[in-house]
Amino acid sequence: MDSIINFIGHFHPLLVHLPIGILLFAILIHWLAQKEKYVLFKNIVPFSYLIGAGSAIVTCISGLALSTNVEYDTQTLFYHQWLGIFLALVSLLGVYFTKKNKARELKWAAITLLVLIFLTGHFGGTLTHGADYLTKGLKSKKATKARPNFSNVQEAILFEDIIQPILEEKCYGCHSDIKQKGKLRLDSKEWILKGGEDGLVFHQGSALNSPLYKKIILDPLDEKHMPPKGKPQITEKERVLIEWWINSGGYFDKKVKDLAQPGNIQMVLANFEKNSPKALNNDVPTNEIKLANQASLNNLTKMGVTILQVAKNSNYLTANFINVVKTNDTIDNLIKTVSPNIVWLKMPGIMFSNSLANAISYCDSLTKLSIEHSTITDNQLSNFQNLKRLHYLNLVGTKISLKGLLQLKSLVNINELYLGQTSITNKDAALIQKTFPKAKIIFGNYHTENIASDTIVLKVASKK
Amino acid sequence: MSKENKKIIKEATIATTEQITRKYFFKECFSGIGAMALGSMLQGCDWLGNKDSFNNFTNTNPLMARAPHFIGKAKSVIYLHMAGAPSQLELFDYKPDLLKLDGQDCPQSLLEGKKFAFIRGVPKMLGPQAVFKQRGQSGAWISDNLPHLATVADEISFLKAVQTDQFNHGPAQLLMHTGSPRLGRPSIGSWVTYGLGSENNNLPGFVVLTSGGNNPDAGKSVWGNGFLPSVYQGVQCRNEGDPVLFLKDPAGMDRDVRKASIDAINEANQLTYNEFQDPEIIARMAQYEMAFKMQISVPDVMNINDEPEYIQEMYGTTPGKASFANNVLLARKLVEKGVRFVQLFDWGWDSHGTDGSTAIDIGFINKCRNIDKPITALLLDLKQRGLLDETLVVWGGEFGRTPMQENRDGKTMPFKGRDHHTEAFTTWMAGGGIKQGSSFGETDEIGYSAISGKVTAYDMQATILNQLGFDHEKLTYASQGRQFRLTDVHGRVINEIIA
Repeated sequence: MDSIINFIGHFHPLLVHLPIGILLFAILIHWLAQKEKYVLFKNIVPFSYLIGAGSAIVTCISGLALSTNVEYDTQTLFYHQWLGIFLALVSLLGVYFTKKNKARELKWAAITLLVLIFLTGHFGGTLTHGADYLTKGLKSKKATKARPNFSNVQEAILFEDIIQPILEEKCYGCHSDIKQKGKLRLDSKEWILKGGEDGLVFHQGSALNSPLYKKIILDPLDEKHMPPKGKPQITEKERVLIEWWINSGGYFDKKVKDLAQPGNIQMVLANFEKNSPKALNNDVPTNEIKLANQASLNNLTKMGVTILQVAKNSNYLTANFINVVKTNDTIDNLIKTVSPNIVWLKMPGIMFSNSLANAISYCDSLTKLSIEHSTITDNQLSNFQNLKRLHYLNLVGTKISLKGLLQLKSLVNINELYLGQTSITNKDAALIQKTFPKAKIIFGNYHTENIASDTIVLKVASKK
Repeated sequence: MSKENKKIIKEATIATTEQITRKYFFKECFSGIGAMALGSMLQGCDWLGNKDSFNNFTNTNPLMARAPHFIGKAKSVIYLHMAGAPSQLELFDYKPDLLKLDGQDCPQSLLEGKKFAFIRGVPKMLGPQAVFKQRGQSGAWISDNLPHLATVADEISFLKAVQTDQFNHGPAQLLMHTGSPRLGRPSIGSWVTYGLGSENNNLPGFVVLTSGGNNPDAGKSVWGNGFLPSVYQGVQCRNEGDPVLFLKDPAGMDRDVRKASIDAINEANQLTYNEFQDPEIIARMAQYEMAFKMQISVPDVMNINDEPEYIQEMYGTTPGKASFANNVLLARKLVEKGVRFVQLFDWGWDSHGTDGSTAIDIGFINKCRNIDKPITALLLDLKQRGLLDETLVVWGGEFGRTPMQENRDGKTMPFKGRDHHTEAFTTWMAGGGIKQGSSFGETDEIGYSAISGKVTAYDMQATILNQLGFDHEKLTYASQGRQFRLTDVHGRVINEIIA
């Protein structure tokens, strides 16, 4: 029996269109028939209402059948159901009035029907498509604007500002105060922690153990996949964010900056602050900077310097002098013109001049300086005392002495210091460590042991 | 013939001709061809095309250095591919339970519905043929086959549950490097060069070195450019003698004359390009230029004899002879000079046990000894030069090997060997912003199948691109009417191993 009711119920979405169409048509005919030109239409007005009323009754029956086994928002369903039944009754009344030729009553019945069709239809639409379906198109432009956009995403609260808007857009339709499918609500911390009828949905620290996340990554054809087939799906970026949120502890109050951010997360996060492109990497300062002078960049490129943005969304520059053996005054001056933008300088094996050292001293955003195997002297190195942001310094294979290095004691942010193949050895490690407390100091001179088996080649034992 | 029959025949004739006449063709195809034309016309429009797509090919200088999508940790990649597929069960995936099952028949449950390259009938289980120990602070399991690598275990992130769906060498290698088991897609090195260009004007962005006596089974397609302009294909250097032939100008031809002749050829090429707009002409021009510059740069970079004695010893190189160690040292030199992607293939890891050289307890161990010291030296050398943070080192094969002993054609084999295995194998990454001393993914107690942390070739590719600063979904190239990318419709960045 249940299955038959179920079957009949599933005809409702099809049948609803009949009374809407036929009754609207009947009303139109009815209205036109009052004009002299269409006076012949009068003959079909009763028939139109009759068919309309009949289809309305059939639709009501199928609708009642459908309501028995599908979970809908009860309040909307209540309105839809009773307005629909009322509509069917009024349409029957309309038939009665046509038979009795009661023109005045029929007119009022027609107006009532018009209102009822509109209301019932609207509530029906709300049931299947959600409350915001109709107005979504109007809102969409606003919505993208309203999408969280921070001047500094690092200051955003991960759950409230980033995760919740995703849930709101993709999950609240069925899991919030509107509907609670599977007895689950996701519209507050308490509800999320409470879970649904199948138990907890959320395990802080493990996305793969959280049904909330697991259902998102199920095969889209799987019945349990969320959001359900046909509904707007979680995008890859949103998935990554949710995964990151849960895996990094699933906190509801922590700010983005308090959590470790892998590279791709930085990328996704950067999208939240499109208007203020900002580099999200320890190696690059977070404050904004104007684009470097394009003419200077072109000229440097012409001189063989590979100079380009560290990333498409950043105005900071990385410069590689691998094609340059020795700089000249022109290059040194060009470096000065773009110096605030340069964060990484790579000059392996370069012939150092005083003017080059001087030019580099202008690069106060500089975080990485690779001058391994260059001819830099202690004296030239002293120019770099003000490069306060420097945290990577590669002096491998240079003539720098311990005394020369200690001139840079003001650079306390250095956290990687490469001193291989220099006269500085690890017997001074303690002193250097004291001077650069944050630094990981690499003296190099690594070697691999000689193990006897290294050179032994195994052969097949000969048969005896 | 009756009148009616004639009518029927006439109708039939018209019906047939309708299908073949020119007018009918146009009538029927009008909408289809129209839509295709409209599609290609609209492709240039921003509102239809993907705004974020990354068409990087420039006609003036296709190898010009370019910025990635976001700030990447790694600037270059050294990919060490052990062609033939090394056994994870004798290197990194320690399975003591497998030892207990040694010599027993493989349970039916592991064989039902499975296909193997060579195993037929019911094979015997084969216990680990190596002694394992936990190494370093991280406690990574590394066997005694790699005693040197064991000392740098704390630099490495292991992927223990890599999976593939190809059990033959060629397709599996293609999948690993081009994202498709079939020919025709660009290799990962080509994608990277297309995305980043080359920092060094005098060297190609993507260099390939092979060792072990053979090219990989998939042939040169594993470093091919596919549908990308051919300027992005891998440049293979010879593994013995001069790495690049004909670097010296012939007698009587000085460098100026050489330059003048290349300029003249390229001028002619430019005219042809202006007429036909074929990007391959640009590629050819760029390659002439590059070859000219490489005459100067290559002898310097490619000469490992200039490296000091202690470096040679560290890597265990044998100058003048083809060897994996030489290639690894070369790889470091190339990366140091700004080459983006160095691809090493070492052939001979296909340990089936058909003869001594493929026996898991003989030839396989020799192969391990060949790579152990050089790879360890590479990690240490990059570290002491301050390059490990910006150089991503990837190690792996194209698939794994079975916990069962191979029984080719149902017969017992003369040597201990393992068949191709797709369901779980180990690869690792180090440097380039990858976590130090970590491991991701687990296999079951006999190493047959992955039980957690499964990753695919696509995931590895997505991760490599991510470390270089690319969103693998946005590094695309339009070919034959659609945007292609390395990972096709797959790929997940393996955040679990990223520092």
